[in-house]
Amino acid sequence: MLADALLRSMTGTTALLRVTGVSTDSNMSELGLVSTTFADVVVSPVVMRKLRPTWQEGGESKWELFVSATGVQQQVSALDLASAQSLFAMTLTVTVGGQDYLIESVASNEAFGQVYLYRLLLREARQQAV
Amino acid sequence: MQNAKDSFYMTLRTRLTSINPERTVLLRGSVRPGILVEEAEAPFNQLPNDVFVLRWLGVGVDMDLATAMVVEQCEILYQTCGTQSFGGLDRGRALSQMDKELTTMLQPFHTPKLNYTAMPPAAMLTQVFWDEPGLGPIVVQRDRLSRSASVTVYSYQEQGE
Repeated sequence: MLADALLRSMTGTTALLRVTGVSTDSNMSELGLVSTTFADVVVSPVVMRKLRPTWQEGGESKWELFVSATGVQQQVSALDLASAQSLFAMTLTVTVGGQDYLIESVASNEAFGQVYLYRLLLREARQQAV
Repeated sequence: MQNAKDSFYMTLRTRLTSINPERTVLLRGSVRPGILVEEAEAPFNQLPNDVFVLRWLGVGVDMDLATAMVVEQCEILYQTCGTQSFGGLDRGRALSQMDKELTTMLQPFHTPKLNYTAMPPAAMLTQVFWDEPGLGPIVVQRDRLSRSASVTVYSYQEQGE
């Protein structure tokens, strides 16, 4: 709760996790022939910060997204998932402010054995064909 | 050439289920045989362990034939950290097991070419065939052993492809 309040006080915003649904036709979806169903999962509050850039030609910017553990837990329960890691594992992209990002890694902060914050290392996604 | 790539993958996938039905992966909410095409999945920040990952690389076309022959290079990547029950100490054995499964599922070195855009998949006139795999050296990254194998896949370009 304290983490939520801190995130909100730092202009906490909302992130959309685009998760994949269960693929119905395994053959065609495994070959990239049919798109699987997607769902947008809303998590809030979140705060984003740009990591100190070490510029590389053609390299995408990296960001760190702080996500409230209570916000994640609500969605984990709503989707009937085993853990937050399962939710992040089935996330294709994270959308914040209309920009898509790919998850590079997930870490968490704990206090008294309980996770209060997830830290997602994100990379800007390249634009896909319409 | 996409039909050849699809047929090659589906053949290996089918063969793997009979060689080792326990090699599975949970991906996009469903349990599948432990083999996947990298370009048909969401980008991985780290390749999954104990799974065969097919990565398509170079391509060439031989036009000096009655029917054009397409040659494609497929890199098959796999890695393991061993099993939890052995504390990872069996990672060498686990990689050897994957080596064996790979060489077994590549035989025989041919399969009928199918068009998977049709439902059910439509058989085409020619076959897809490939060479013996070239297995690269083991790459050790702390507790993880990985290897890549290179396979050259040949197919004839049929009308309408």
